[in-house]
Amino acid sequence: MTEVIARRGFHGPSNEEAIESIHNELDALWDDAAFVPDMDRMTFATAVIEAAANIVQHALPVAEKPVEIDVDISVRPARLVARVSAYNAREPFASDMQASMPDSEAESGRGLALIEALVTTVTFERQDGTNTWILTRDT
Amino acid sequence: MQFSYEVKDSYAEVKSVGRLNMVAAPKLREVVNEVVAGGSSRVVVNLAETDFMDSSGLGALIGCLKAARQAGGDLRISGVQPQVKMVLELTNMDRVLTSYTSAEEAFGDD
Repeated sequence: MTEVIARRGFHGPSNEEAIESIHNELDALWDDAAFVPDMDRMTFATAVIEAAANIVQHALPVAEKPVEIDVDISVRPARLVARVSAYNAREPFASDMQASMPDSEAESGRGLALIEALVTTVTFERQDGTNTWILTRDT
Repeated sequence: MQFSYEVKDSYAEVKSVGRLNMVAAPKLREVVNEVVAGGSSRVVVNLAETDFMDSSGLGALIGCLKAARQAGGDLRISGVQPQVKMVLELTNMDRVLTSYTSAEEAFGDD
């Protein structure tokens, strides 16, 4: 088992308020783990917010229950880990999973490419109507 | 997130304060469109108090740049903080969105 030094989370409806709440949890995580260097905070927080924003913007409900977003962020020795999940969500469309940087005129479509540039590993899991992004950054 | 603007002699300065994320991005578009529609197509977005920007915020800046250019002007940014600089560099948009130290300097050369 890897030791968890600090941990924060959020669970709620997938909407704009969730993004602000998740950002506040990230800020609180750095308060709990003040030793994490600025560069790692900046890159990891950006990747987590991009993944959460992707869910808020693109995740569609699988049935009548609305999509809920769940975020679990933790600081471990030499590693930051985030699990960003969409509950009650359909499987993402392939077009939502586009990970190459679009041309400079495009006003959207950079989120996933940005996530890949920011973290060490990106893993996607789907299980029982839940889509989960697992992001890790070695520190 | 808050936006305010001030029309000066040769440009308009839009001040962005807080997180420029998917919540704030549509508001930035609204403010810049209002400024451009009001006749100021030379726009500086002052990011000195914006400590975070995501790809939605970046998309809004690109949309605003296009709107300013279509009106015969330009959009420049000033006071870029480290996280915003990182996002601009990783997306190669630092070559498109020219960054200046201060709002005064952004249109100081022309």
